Amino acid sequence: MRAVLALAAKDLRAESRAKQIAPVMMVFALCLVFLLTFALPPGALRAPVPEPRAGALAAREITGLLLWTTIFFAGVIGFGRSAAVDREGSAADGLLLAPVDPAALYTGKLLGNLAFLTAAELVAIPLFMLFANIPARGLLPGLIPVIVVANLGLASVGTLFGAATQHAEAKSLMLPLLTFPLALPVILGASKLTSTLLIENGFGVEGRWFILLAVFDVIFLTLGAVTFEFVIEE
Amino acid sequence: MSKDPLVPMQSLAAAGFLAGVAAVFFWVPTEAFQGVAQRILYVHAPAAWVAYLAFGVVLVCSIAYLRTGDVRWDWVAHASARTGVLFTALNLVTGMLWGRPIWGAYWAWDPRLTLTLVLLLIYLGYLIFRANASDQTRGARIAAVIGIAGFMVVPLVHFSVDWWRGQHPSRTVIRPEAGPALPAEMQIVLGGMMLVFTLLYLVLLALSVRVLKLEADVMELESLSLENTVLRSRPAG
Repeated sequence: MRAVLALAAKDLRAESRAKQIAPVMMVFALCLVFLLTFALPPGALRAPVPEPRAGALAAREITGLLLWTTIFFAGVIGFGRSAAVDREGSAADGLLLAPVDPAALYTGKLLGNLAFLTAAELVAIPLFMLFANIPARGLLPGLIPVIVVANLGLASVGTLFGAATQHAEAKSLMLPLLTFPLALPVILGASKLTSTLLIENGFGVEGRWFILLAVFDVIFLTLGAVTFEFVIEE
Repeated sequence: MSKDPLVPMQSLAAAGFLAGVAAVFFWVPTEAFQGVAQRILYVHAPAAWVAYLAFGVVLVCSIAYLRTGDVRWDWVAHASARTGVLFTALNLVTGMLWGRPIWGAYWAWDPRLTLTLVLLLIYLGYLIFRANASDQTRGARIAAVIGIAGFMVVPLVHFSVDWWRGQHPSRTVIRPEAGPALPAEMQIVLGGMMLVFTLLYLVLLALSVRVLKLEADVMELESLSLENTVLRSRPAG
Protein backbone atom coordinates (compact mmCIF):
# COMPACT_ATOMS: atom_id res chain seq x y z
CA MET A 1 0.00 0.00 0.00
CA ARG A 2 2.85 2.37 0.81
CA ALA A 3 4.42 1.51 -2.53
CA VAL A 4 1.15 2.30 -4.32
CA LEU A 5 0.89 5.72 -2.72
CA ALA A 6 4.58 6.43 -3.30
CA LEU A 7 4.15 5.62 -6.98
CA ALA A 8 1.08 7.78 -7.38
CA ALA A 9 2.84 10.60 -5.52
CA LYS A 10 5.83 10.25 -7.86
CA ASP A 11 3.60 10.70 -10.91
CA LEU A 12 1.83 13.70 -9.39
CA ARG A 13 5.10 15.31 -8.30
CA ALA A 14 6.65 14.82 -11.73
CA GLU A 15 3.56 16.30 -13.31
CA SER A 16 3.48 19.27 -10.95
CA ARG A 17 7.00 20.12 -12.11
CA ALA A 18 6.99 19.17 -15.78
CA LYS A 19 3.27 19.70 -16.56
CA GLN A 20 3.36 17.50 -19.63
CA ILE A 21 0.18 15.47 -19.20
CA ALA A 22 -2.86 17.23 -17.73
CA PRO A 23 -2.55 20.53 -19.66
CA VAL A 24 -2.35 18.62 -22.95
CA MET A 25 -5.47 16.66 -22.00
CA MET A 26 -7.29 19.86 -21.08
CA VAL A 27 -6.50 21.69 -24.31
CA PHE A 28 -7.31 18.61 -26.37
CA ALA A 29 -10.63 18.27 -24.51
CA LEU A 30 -11.35 21.95 -25.15
CA CYS A 31 -10.91 21.38 -28.91
CA LEU A 32 -13.31 18.43 -28.82
CA VAL A 33 -15.83 20.30 -26.66
CA PHE A 34 -15.73 23.15 -29.17
CA LEU A 35 -16.37 20.87 -32.15
CA LEU A 36 -18.99 18.62 -30.61
CA THR A 37 -21.12 21.23 -28.84
CA PHE A 38 -20.96 23.26 -32.06
CA ALA A 39 -23.11 20.50 -33.60
CA LEU A 40 -25.94 20.88 -31.08
CA PRO A 41 -29.01 22.93 -32.04
CA PRO A 42 -28.67 26.33 -30.31
CA GLY A 43 -30.38 26.47 -26.93
CA ALA A 44 -31.74 22.94 -27.21
CA LEU A 45 -30.44 22.02 -23.76
CA ARG A 46 -31.20 25.24 -21.92
CA ALA A 47 -34.48 24.30 -20.21
CA PRO A 48 -34.29 21.89 -17.26
CA VAL A 49 -36.84 19.46 -18.70
CA PRO A 50 -37.38 18.56 -22.34
CA GLU A 51 -39.68 21.02 -23.99
CA PRO A 52 -41.80 20.07 -26.99
CA ARG A 53 -39.44 22.04 -29.21
CA ALA A 54 -38.10 20.11 -32.16
CA GLY A 55 -34.66 18.73 -31.53
CA ALA A 56 -34.68 19.29 -27.77
CA LEU A 57 -35.10 15.61 -26.94
CA ALA A 58 -32.80 14.39 -29.69
CA ALA A 59 -30.13 16.83 -28.53
CA ARG A 60 -30.34 15.42 -25.01
CA GLU A 61 -30.11 11.89 -26.31
CA ILE A 62 -26.82 12.55 -28.08
CA THR A 63 -25.33 14.92 -25.51
CA GLY A 64 -24.13 12.11 -23.23
CA LEU A 65 -22.23 10.47 -26.05
CA LEU A 66 -20.71 13.81 -27.13
CA LEU A 67 -19.46 14.49 -23.60
CA TRP A 68 -18.03 11.00 -23.08
CA THR A 69 -16.43 10.95 -26.52
CA THR A 70 -14.56 14.05 -25.39
CA ILE A 71 -13.55 12.50 -22.08
CA PHE A 72 -12.56 9.19 -23.65
CA PHE A 73 -10.20 10.74 -26.20
CA ALA A 74 -8.75 13.23 -23.73
CA GLY A 75 -8.21 10.28 -21.39
CA VAL A 76 -6.44 8.22 -24.04
CA ILE A 77 -4.07 11.14 -24.75
CA GLY A 78 -3.27 11.35 -21.04
CA PHE A 79 -2.82 7.60 -20.46
CA GLY A 80 -0.45 7.41 -23.40
CA ARG A 81 1.53 10.43 -22.23
CA SER A 82 1.81 9.22 -18.65
CA ALA A 83 3.19 5.84 -19.79
CA ALA A 84 5.52 7.48 -22.31
CA VAL A 85 6.90 9.86 -19.68
CA ASP A 86 7.94 6.87 -17.55
CA ARG A 87 9.70 5.31 -20.50
CA GLU A 88 11.37 8.46 -21.78
CA GLY A 89 12.73 9.31 -18.34
CA SER A 90 13.83 5.69 -17.86
CA ALA A 91 11.65 5.60 -14.74
CA ALA A 92 10.12 2.39 -16.14
CA ASP A 93 13.48 0.61 -15.77
CA GLY A 94 13.83 1.76 -12.18
CA LEU A 95 10.30 0.63 -11.36
CA LEU A 96 11.03 -2.81 -12.80
CA LEU A 97 14.07 -3.13 -10.56
CA ALA A 98 12.20 -1.97 -7.45
CA PRO A 99 11.18 -4.82 -5.13
CA VAL A 100 7.50 -4.05 -5.61
CA ASP A 101 4.65 -6.29 -6.66
CA PRO A 102 3.56 -5.58 -10.28
CA ALA A 103 -0.01 -5.27 -9.03
CA ALA A 104 1.15 -2.38 -6.82
CA LEU A 105 2.89 -0.78 -9.80
CA TYR A 106 -0.35 -1.03 -11.73
CA THR A 107 -2.42 0.42 -8.89
CA GLY A 108 -0.02 3.30 -8.32
CA LYS A 109 0.00 4.15 -12.01
CA LEU A 110 -3.78 3.85 -12.04
CA LEU A 111 -4.15 6.37 -9.21
CA GLY A 112 -1.94 8.83 -11.07
CA ASN A 113 -3.96 8.38 -14.24
CA LEU A 114 -7.21 8.81 -12.33
CA ALA A 115 -5.92 12.11 -10.99
CA PHE A 116 -4.98 13.33 -14.49
CA LEU A 117 -8.32 12.25 -15.92
CA THR A 118 -10.22 13.99 -13.14
CA ALA A 119 -8.16 17.15 -13.63
CA ALA A 120 -9.00 17.14 -17.33
CA GLU A 121 -12.68 16.61 -16.52
CA LEU A 122 -12.68 19.52 -14.10
CA VAL A 123 -11.97 21.67 -17.15
CA ALA A 124 -13.81 19.71 -19.84
CA ILE A 125 -17.16 19.14 -18.14
CA PRO A 126 -17.83 22.75 -17.02
CA LEU A 127 -16.75 23.99 -20.46
CA PHE A 128 -18.99 21.45 -22.12
CA MET A 129 -21.94 22.58 -20.00
CA LEU A 130 -21.11 26.19 -20.72
CA PHE A 131 -20.89 25.78 -24.48
CA ALA A 132 -23.91 23.48 -24.67
CA ASN A 133 -25.96 25.78 -22.42
CA ILE A 134 -26.71 23.02 -19.94
CA PRO A 135 -27.95 24.31 -16.57
CA ALA A 136 -25.49 22.73 -14.13
CA ARG A 137 -27.60 23.15 -11.02
CA GLY A 138 -29.32 19.92 -10.00
CA LEU A 139 -27.25 17.92 -12.45
CA LEU A 140 -24.06 17.45 -10.44
CA PRO A 141 -25.35 15.12 -7.65
CA GLY A 142 -26.40 12.65 -10.32
CA LEU A 143 -23.40 13.17 -12.56
CA ILE A 144 -20.70 12.63 -9.92
CA PRO A 145 -21.35 8.89 -9.36
CA VAL A 146 -21.38 8.42 -13.15
CA ILE A 147 -18.01 10.15 -13.42
CA VAL A 148 -16.55 8.06 -10.59
CA VAL A 149 -17.47 4.64 -12.01
CA ALA A 150 -16.67 5.65 -15.58
CA ASN A 151 -13.27 7.14 -14.67
CA LEU A 152 -12.28 3.97 -12.89
CA GLY A 153 -13.23 1.92 -15.97
CA LEU A 154 -11.43 4.18 -18.45
CA ALA A 155 -8.31 4.49 -16.30
CA SER A 156 -8.11 0.74 -15.59
CA VAL A 157 -8.09 -0.06 -19.32
CA GLY A 158 -5.92 2.95 -20.18
CA THR A 159 -3.26 2.20 -17.56
CA LEU A 160 -2.89 -1.40 -18.71
CA PHE A 161 -2.75 -0.65 -22.42
CA GLY A 162 -0.89 2.62 -22.02
CA ALA A 163 2.00 0.59 -20.65
CA ALA A 164 1.44 -2.21 -23.18
CA THR A 165 1.61 0.01 -26.25
CA GLN A 166 4.92 1.56 -25.23
CA HIS A 167 6.66 -1.32 -26.94
CA ALA A 168 4.98 -0.94 -30.31
CA GLU A 169 5.73 1.17 -33.34
CA ALA A 170 3.20 3.96 -33.84
CA LYS A 171 2.24 3.65 -30.17
CA SER A 172 0.13 6.79 -30.10
CA LEU A 173 -2.09 5.22 -32.76
CA MET A 174 -2.09 1.82 -31.14
CA LEU A 175 -3.50 2.97 -27.79
CA PRO A 176 -6.84 4.38 -29.00
CA LEU A 177 -7.16 1.47 -31.42
CA LEU A 178 -6.97 -1.05 -28.57
CA THR A 179 -8.80 0.89 -25.87
CA PHE A 180 -11.79 2.00 -27.93
CA PRO A 181 -13.48 -1.39 -28.44
CA LEU A 182 -12.51 -2.59 -24.95
CA ALA A 183 -13.76 0.54 -23.20
CA LEU A 184 -16.93 0.70 -25.28
CA PRO A 185 -19.20 -0.55 -22.45
CA VAL A 186 -17.91 2.30 -20.27
CA ILE A 187 -18.40 4.93 -22.96
CA LEU A 188 -21.92 3.69 -23.73
CA GLY A 189 -22.88 3.30 -20.08
CA ALA A 190 -21.65 6.72 -18.98
CA SER A 191 -23.28 8.33 -22.04
CA LYS A 192 -26.62 6.67 -21.45
CA LEU A 193 -26.62 7.65 -17.77
CA THR A 194 -25.69 11.25 -18.60
CA SER A 195 -28.35 11.57 -21.29
CA THR A 196 -31.00 10.00 -19.08
CA LEU A 197 -30.10 12.43 -16.33
CA LEU A 198 -30.60 15.31 -18.77
CA ILE A 199 -33.94 14.00 -19.97
CA GLU A 200 -35.55 12.63 -16.82
CA ASN A 201 -33.62 14.34 -14.04
CA GLY A 202 -32.99 10.86 -12.65
CA PHE A 203 -31.92 7.44 -13.83
CA GLY A 204 -35.05 5.25 -13.59
CA VAL A 205 -34.60 1.91 -15.27
CA GLU A 206 -31.30 3.02 -16.85
CA GLY A 207 -29.77 2.85 -13.37
CA ARG A 208 -28.89 -0.74 -14.29
CA TRP A 209 -25.91 0.68 -16.20
CA PHE A 210 -24.27 1.36 -12.86
CA ILE A 211 -24.14 -2.39 -12.27
CA LEU A 212 -22.61 -2.99 -15.69
CA LEU A 213 -20.02 -0.27 -15.13
CA ALA A 214 -19.18 -1.61 -11.68
CA VAL A 215 -18.74 -5.13 -13.07
CA PHE A 216 -16.52 -3.70 -15.80
CA ASP A 217 -14.42 -1.86 -13.22
CA VAL A 218 -13.95 -4.99 -11.11
CA ILE A 219 -13.04 -7.14 -14.13
CA PHE A 220 -10.49 -4.71 -15.55
CA LEU A 221 -8.95 -3.76 -12.22
CA THR A 222 -8.39 -7.45 -11.52
CA LEU A 223 -7.15 -8.13 -15.04
CA GLY A 224 -4.79 -5.15 -14.87
CA ALA A 225 -3.37 -6.15 -11.51
CA VAL A 226 -2.88 -9.77 -12.59
CA THR A 227 -1.47 -9.19 -16.08
CA PHE A 228 0.55 -6.00 -15.55
CA GLU A 229 3.70 -8.01 -14.93
CA PHE A 230 3.53 -9.53 -18.43
CA VAL A 231 3.07 -6.08 -19.93
CA ILE A 232 6.07 -4.42 -18.28
CA GLU A 233 8.44 -7.37 -18.03
CA GLU A 234 11.59 -7.00 -20.18
CA MET B 1 1.67 -39.61 -51.94
CA SER B 2 2.35 -36.75 -49.60
CA LYS B 3 2.73 -37.72 -45.95
CA ASP B 4 1.38 -34.36 -44.84
CA PRO B 5 -1.65 -35.03 -42.60
CA LEU B 6 -3.06 -31.66 -43.66
CA VAL B 7 -3.67 -32.80 -47.23
CA PRO B 8 -6.52 -35.24 -46.50
CA MET B 9 -8.06 -32.63 -44.19
CA GLN B 10 -7.89 -30.04 -46.91
CA SER B 11 -9.43 -32.40 -49.44
CA LEU B 12 -12.20 -33.27 -47.02
CA ALA B 13 -12.90 -29.60 -46.30
CA ALA B 14 -12.95 -28.76 -50.02
CA ALA B 15 -15.24 -31.67 -50.88
CA GLY B 16 -17.53 -30.88 -47.95
CA PHE B 17 -17.68 -27.24 -48.96
CA LEU B 18 -18.64 -28.08 -52.56
CA ALA B 19 -21.28 -30.55 -51.39
CA GLY B 20 -22.61 -28.02 -48.85
CA VAL B 21 -22.88 -25.22 -51.42
CA ALA B 22 -24.59 -27.58 -53.86
CA ALA B 23 -27.09 -28.56 -51.15
CA VAL B 24 -27.71 -24.90 -50.31
CA PHE B 25 -28.45 -24.04 -53.93
CA PHE B 26 -30.30 -27.13 -55.16
CA TRP B 27 -31.55 -29.30 -52.33
CA VAL B 28 -32.71 -27.32 -49.32
CA PRO B 29 -36.28 -25.89 -49.61
CA THR B 30 -36.77 -22.13 -50.01
CA GLU B 31 -37.94 -20.38 -46.86
CA ALA B 32 -41.55 -19.17 -47.20
CA PHE B 33 -41.23 -15.58 -45.94
CA GLN B 34 -37.71 -14.54 -46.85
CA GLY B 35 -37.33 -16.46 -50.09
CA VAL B 36 -33.91 -17.10 -51.56
CA ALA B 37 -32.20 -14.57 -49.30
CA GLN B 38 -32.53 -16.93 -46.35
CA ARG B 39 -30.09 -19.35 -48.02
CA ILE B 40 -27.22 -17.09 -46.98
CA LEU B 41 -27.87 -18.30 -43.43
CA TYR B 42 -26.00 -21.52 -44.27
CA VAL B 43 -22.83 -19.47 -44.63
CA HIS B 44 -23.66 -16.69 -42.18
CA ALA B 45 -24.38 -18.79 -39.07
CA PRO B 46 -21.42 -21.20 -39.47
CA ALA B 47 -19.12 -18.19 -39.94
CA ALA B 48 -20.41 -16.73 -36.65
CA TRP B 49 -19.89 -20.07 -34.88
CA VAL B 50 -16.32 -20.35 -36.17
CA ALA B 51 -15.57 -16.74 -35.20
CA TYR B 52 -16.63 -17.39 -31.59
CA LEU B 53 -14.75 -20.68 -31.55
CA ALA B 54 -11.63 -18.96 -32.89
CA PHE B 55 -11.71 -16.20 -30.28
CA GLY B 56 -12.33 -18.77 -27.56
CA VAL B 57 -9.19 -20.55 -28.76
CA VAL B 58 -7.31 -17.23 -28.62
CA LEU B 59 -8.38 -16.86 -24.98
CA VAL B 60 -7.39 -20.38 -23.95
CA CYS B 61 -4.06 -20.32 -25.80
CA SER B 62 -3.24 -16.82 -24.48
CA ILE B 63 -3.72 -17.99 -20.90
CA ALA B 64 -1.69 -21.13 -21.61
CA TYR B 65 1.09 -19.03 -23.17
CA LEU B 66 1.31 -16.67 -20.20
CA ARG B 67 1.41 -19.61 -17.81
CA THR B 68 3.95 -21.77 -19.64
CA GLY B 69 5.88 -19.36 -21.86
CA ASP B 70 5.77 -22.02 -24.58
CA VAL B 71 5.83 -20.17 -27.90
CA ARG B 72 3.67 -22.81 -29.60
CA TRP B 73 0.66 -21.63 -27.61
CA ASP B 74 1.33 -18.16 -28.92
CA TRP B 75 1.43 -19.37 -32.53
CA VAL B 76 -1.95 -21.05 -32.13
CA ALA B 77 -3.43 -17.93 -30.47
CA HIS B 78 -2.05 -15.66 -33.19
CA ALA B 79 -3.19 -17.97 -35.99
CA SER B 80 -6.62 -18.34 -34.42
CA ALA B 81 -7.04 -14.56 -34.17
CA ARG B 82 -6.23 -14.21 -37.89
CA THR B 83 -8.73 -16.88 -38.81
CA GLY B 84 -11.32 -15.48 -36.42
CA VAL B 85 -11.06 -12.01 -37.96
CA LEU B 86 -11.54 -13.53 -41.40
CA PHE B 87 -14.71 -15.36 -40.36
CA THR B 88 -16.06 -12.37 -38.41
CA ALA B 89 -15.71 -10.28 -41.55
CA LEU B 90 -17.43 -13.01 -43.57
CA ASN B 91 -20.23 -13.10 -41.00
CA LEU B 92 -20.69 -9.32 -41.16
CA VAL B 93 -20.65 -9.16 -44.96
CA THR B 94 -23.13 -12.03 -45.38
CA GLY B 95 -25.31 -10.48 -42.67
CA MET B 96 -25.40 -7.19 -44.54
CA LEU B 97 -26.22 -8.91 -47.83
CA TRP B 98 -29.13 -10.61 -46.08
CA GLY B 99 -30.20 -7.40 -44.34
CA ARG B 100 -30.60 -5.40 -47.55
CA PRO B 101 -33.57 -7.42 -48.93
CA ILE B 102 -35.03 -8.43 -45.54
CA TRP B 103 -34.59 -5.30 -43.40
CA GLY B 104 -34.36 -2.91 -46.31
CA ALA B 105 -30.92 -1.70 -45.23
CA TYR B 106 -27.42 -3.11 -45.26
CA TRP B 107 -26.72 -1.94 -41.77
CA ALA B 108 -28.88 -1.70 -38.65
CA TRP B 109 -27.54 -1.01 -35.16
CA ASP B 110 -28.97 -4.29 -34.08
CA PRO B 111 -27.28 -5.63 -30.91
CA ARG B 112 -25.83 -8.67 -32.63
CA LEU B 113 -24.42 -6.71 -35.55
CA THR B 114 -22.95 -4.16 -33.19
CA LEU B 115 -21.37 -6.84 -31.02
CA THR B 116 -19.87 -8.52 -34.09
CA LEU B 117 -18.43 -5.20 -35.28
CA VAL B 118 -16.89 -4.59 -31.85
CA LEU B 119 -15.38 -8.09 -31.93
CA LEU B 120 -13.88 -7.34 -35.33
CA LEU B 121 -12.38 -4.10 -33.96
CA ILE B 122 -10.91 -5.83 -30.88
CA TYR B 123 -9.18 -8.58 -32.82
CA LEU B 124 -8.14 -6.29 -35.67
CA GLY B 125 -6.48 -4.24 -32.93
CA TYR B 126 -4.85 -7.45 -31.68
CA LEU B 127 -3.46 -8.23 -35.15
CA ILE B 128 -2.34 -4.65 -35.84
CA PHE B 129 -0.60 -4.59 -32.47
CA ARG B 130 1.21 -7.82 -33.28
CA ALA B 131 2.30 -6.45 -36.63
CA ASN B 132 3.72 -3.37 -34.90
CA ALA B 133 5.28 -4.96 -31.84
CA SER B 134 8.93 -3.96 -31.73
CA ASP B 135 10.02 -7.08 -29.84
CA GLN B 136 8.58 -10.49 -30.72
CA THR B 137 8.57 -12.07 -27.25
CA ARG B 138 7.24 -9.00 -25.51
CA GLY B 139 4.75 -8.49 -28.34
CA ALA B 140 3.50 -12.05 -27.83
CA ARG B 141 3.06 -11.53 -24.08
CA ILE B 142 1.16 -8.28 -24.52
CA ALA B 143 -0.93 -9.76 -27.32
CA ALA B 144 -1.91 -12.55 -24.92
CA VAL B 145 -3.15 -9.91 -22.46
CA ILE B 146 -5.17 -8.31 -25.28
CA GLY B 147 -6.54 -11.74 -26.22
CA ILE B 148 -7.71 -12.35 -22.66
CA ALA B 149 -9.13 -8.85 -22.15
CA GLY B 150 -10.85 -8.98 -25.54
CA PHE B 151 -12.78 -12.10 -24.69
CA MET B 152 -13.68 -10.96 -21.17
CA VAL B 153 -15.26 -7.78 -22.43
CA VAL B 154 -17.59 -9.64 -24.82
CA PRO B 155 -20.48 -10.24 -22.34
CA LEU B 156 -20.30 -6.60 -21.22
CA VAL B 157 -20.38 -5.32 -24.78
CA HIS B 158 -23.30 -7.65 -25.39
CA PHE B 159 -25.32 -6.16 -22.54
CA SER B 160 -24.37 -2.59 -23.36
CA VAL B 161 -25.38 -2.75 -27.01
CA ASP B 162 -28.53 -4.60 -26.03
CA TRP B 163 -29.51 -1.96 -23.46
CA TRP B 164 -28.48 1.01 -25.56
CA ARG B 165 -31.71 1.19 -27.54
CA GLY B 166 -34.53 0.53 -25.11
CA GLN B 167 -35.43 -2.76 -23.55
CA HIS B 168 -35.47 -5.58 -26.06
CA PRO B 169 -34.75 -4.34 -29.55
CA SER B 170 -33.54 -7.72 -30.72
CA ARG B 171 -37.01 -9.21 -30.38
CA THR B 172 -38.26 -7.22 -33.36
CA VAL B 173 -35.74 -8.81 -35.66
CA ILE B 174 -36.76 -11.77 -37.76
CA ARG B 175 -34.67 -14.67 -36.60
CA PRO B 176 -34.99 -17.55 -39.01
CA GLU B 177 -32.88 -19.81 -36.84
CA ALA B 178 -35.13 -19.28 -33.82
CA GLY B 179 -38.26 -20.35 -35.67
CA PRO B 180 -40.14 -23.41 -34.43
CA ALA B 181 -38.60 -26.64 -35.74
CA LEU B 182 -36.79 -26.01 -39.01
CA PRO B 183 -37.55 -28.57 -41.72
CA ALA B 184 -35.23 -31.56 -41.61
CA GLU B 185 -33.41 -30.57 -44.82
CA MET B 186 -32.59 -27.16 -43.39
CA GLN B 187 -31.28 -28.69 -40.17
CA ILE B 188 -29.11 -31.15 -42.07
CA VAL B 189 -27.63 -28.50 -44.35
CA LEU B 190 -27.03 -26.08 -41.48
CA GLY B 191 -25.43 -28.81 -39.35
CA GLY B 192 -23.34 -29.98 -42.29
CA MET B 193 -22.13 -26.48 -43.05
CA MET B 194 -21.22 -26.01 -39.38
CA LEU B 195 -19.03 -29.10 -39.62
CA VAL B 196 -17.49 -28.04 -42.91
CA PHE B 197 -16.71 -24.57 -41.55
CA THR B 198 -15.18 -26.03 -38.41
CA LEU B 199 -12.98 -28.24 -40.58
CA LEU B 200 -12.07 -25.26 -42.75
CA TYR B 201 -11.16 -23.35 -39.58
CA LEU B 202 -8.88 -26.16 -38.43
CA VAL B 203 -7.17 -26.30 -41.83
CA LEU B 204 -6.63 -22.54 -41.93
CA LEU B 205 -5.46 -22.59 -38.32
CA ALA B 206 -2.92 -25.34 -39.04
CA LEU B 207 -1.64 -23.56 -42.15
CA SER B 208 -1.37 -20.27 -40.32
CA VAL B 209 0.50 -21.88 -37.41
CA ARG B 210 2.88 -23.37 -39.97
CA VAL B 211 3.52 -19.93 -41.48
CA LEU B 212 4.20 -18.46 -38.04
CA LYS B 213 6.61 -21.26 -37.22
CA LEU B 214 8.44 -20.74 -40.52
CA GLU B 215 8.63 -17.00 -39.84
CA ALA B 216 10.18 -17.73 -36.45
CA ASP B 217 12.65 -20.15 -38.06
CA VAL B 218 13.62 -17.60 -40.68
CA MET B 219 14.23 -14.99 -38.02
CA GLU B 220 16.41 -17.36 -36.06
CA LEU B 221 18.42 -18.23 -39.18
CA GLU B 222 18.82 -14.56 -40.01
CA SER B 223 20.15 -13.76 -36.56
CA LEU B 224 22.50 -16.77 -36.78
CA SER B 225 23.85 -15.72 -40.16
CA LEU B 226 24.28 -12.18 -38.86
CA GLU B 227 26.33 -13.50 -35.94
CA ASN B 228 28.43 -15.56 -38.35
CA THR B 229 29.07 -12.55 -40.55
CA VAL B 230 30.16 -10.55 -37.54
CA LEU B 231 32.45 -13.35 -36.39
CA ARG B 232 34.00 -13.82 -39.83
CA SER B 233 34.55 -10.13 -40.39
CA ARG B 234 36.72 -10.00 -37.28
CA PRO B 235 40.41 -9.84 -38.13
CA ALA B 236 42.09 -13.18 -37.46
CA GLY B 237 44.50 -13.52 -34.57
